Amino acid sequence: MTAVVDINRTLGPVPYDDVPGRDGTGLVAELDRLRIDAACVSHSYALHGDPRDGNDELTRVAHPRLWPVPVLVPGPLGTGPWAGGTPLVRLCPRQHGWDVTGPHARQLLAELAASGTTVLLPWDEVTTGEVHRLASAVPAPRTVLTGTGYRALRELAELLEAHPSLYVDTSTLCGHRQVEWVAERYGAHRVLFGTGAPATDDAGPRYLLDTLDLPPDDAALIAGGNALVLMGGGP
Amino acid sequence: MDIIDAHGHIGRWGAFAVADGSAESLVAMMDRCGVATACVSHLLAVGPDTRAGNALLVEALRAHPGRLLGWAVYQPHDPQGPERLRDLLDVPGVIGVKLHPEVHETALDDRAYTPAFEAAAEHGRLVLAHSQHGGAWSDARHFATVSPRHPGVPLLMGHAGLFPQGLRPAMEAAVRCPDLVLETCGSRMTARHLTRMVSGIGADRVAFGSDAVFLDLRTGLGRVLLADLPETDREQVLHGTMDKLLKGIV
Repeated sequence: MTAVVDINRTLGPVPYDDVPGRDGTGLVAELDRLRIDAACVSHSYALHGDPRDGNDELTRVAHPRLWPVPVLVPGPLGTGPWAGGTPLVRLCPRQHGWDVTGPHARQLLAELAASGTTVLLPWDEVTTGEVHRLASAVPAPRTVLTGTGYRALRELAELLEAHPSLYVDTSTLCGHRQVEWVAERYGAHRVLFGTGAPATDDAGPRYLLDTLDLPPDDAALIAGGNALVLMGGGP
Repeated sequence: MDIIDAHGHIGRWGAFAVADGSAESLVAMMDRCGVATACVSHLLAVGPDTRAGNALLVEALRAHPGRLLGWAVYQPHDPQGPERLRDLLDVPGVIGVKLHPEVHETALDDRAYTPAFEAAAEHGRLVLAHSQHGGAWSDARHFATVSPRHPGVPLLMGHAGLFPQGLRPAMEAAVRCPDLVLETCGSRMTARHLTRMVSGIGADRVAFGSDAVFLDLRTGLGRVLLADLPETDREQVLHGTMDKLLKGIV
C-alpha cells in the first residue's frame, strides 16, 4: 500500500474562510475522506499571525497523522536559533517581512543545512533570483518549492536543472501533464505530493495521484515515499 | 457515467509552456480518467488569430468525432466575425460560441458581442464566456447585465468568477439570471467552493469543466469526484447539466 503524505498543509482557522481543518479533528476527518495518511502541517497562526504563536500551537498538536512544520523567522526578532527539532520547516520571508538574502537569513539557512532540515518555500514568498542565490549557498538546505503554479514551468525547470537541492510540490503544479513532465525530466524523487490546503484545493491534487501516467514506483515516491525520506520515516 | 468536460482547449499559449497541447494528448488524458467528451476551443483562436484557430478547431473535431465538441471563438474586433461565426455554428460538432472578454479587451456586456449572442440564439447554440471577478471585462455583473438581453440562450460562466471571492457574486448572478450556468474550472477553485456552489444554486446550474490543456484535466475532475457532494449532485455536475444543454445540438 502506497503511503500518501501531504507535504504542504495548514492547520487552524484562517482569516479568509471557514475551513474543515480549523482544528485537528476536522483536519483528520478531511484526510480520511481523501485517503491521505498524514499531513505535514504548519499552524495558521504562524502564517497569518506571529510565527512564534503558531509554533507554540503546533507543539500542542499530538495527533500521529499531523506532522509539525514550524515556521521560522531569522534574526533577533525571529523564532530563535535553529538546531533541529523537526525535519521540515517553512519559511515565509515576504509574509513576515524579512530578507531571504540578508545576513540573518544566511545564518538561519546555514543552521538549517547543518542540521539536515528541509525547507518548504512558497513560490510567492521569493523571486526566482532569490531562489537561485539561496540554492547556490554552500551548504544549501534541501528546499521544496511549494505552490509554484502552472504558469512558472519554464522558471521552475531552470531552477531544478541548476540546483539538485531543489524539489517541488504538486499543489498547484496543475498545468496539462506538468507533474509527469517534471518527474520524467528531473526524476520522481524531486516531486512531492502537496495540496497547499486550505488556500488551494486538496481534492484535485489527490485525484491526480491516482491517475499519474508514470511507473508505479515513481508514483509511489511522489505520493509519499519522498516525504517519508525527508521526514526520516515519520515525525 | 459519460462525463462531459464543458470547458477545454487545444493548442498552446503565450504566457507559459504547454508541453503538448495537441488534441491527441487531450484525448489520451480523457481516456486515462474516463472523460467521454470535451468541449474545446483552440487557444490560437482565443489569442492572436481567431480565424486560423477556429479552422484548426474544425480539423480537430473531424479527427475526433464524438470525443471533442467545439466552441467557436468570436472575435469582437473582426469585421467578418458575425458572418464567420454563423458559418462555424453550422459545422457538425460545434456546440456554441466562446467569448474571452479579458483577452479581447471588450467587456462582456458591450454591444460588440450582440451578434454572437444573436447567432447562438438563431442556431440554438450555447455561449461560454470567461469570467474574472473584479475585472473590467468579465465580472459577474457583466454576466448579469448581458444574460437577460438574450433570454433562452444558455450562458456558461467559465470559472464561476475565477477567484474564491468571486464565487458569491457568481452565484447571485445565477440566481437572478435563469440562463446562467456556472462552470467549475480554475486553478483557485477548491472542492469546498464547489460544494457551496452546488448547495447554493443547485447542481442543475453547475457544469464540470477542466480548462485542459491549459490546466490538467485531472485536477479539475478530481475536485468534483472527491468533493463532499451527494452522488446525484455529482453526476448532475459531471454530465447531467451538459446533457440537458446539448440535447438537440449533438
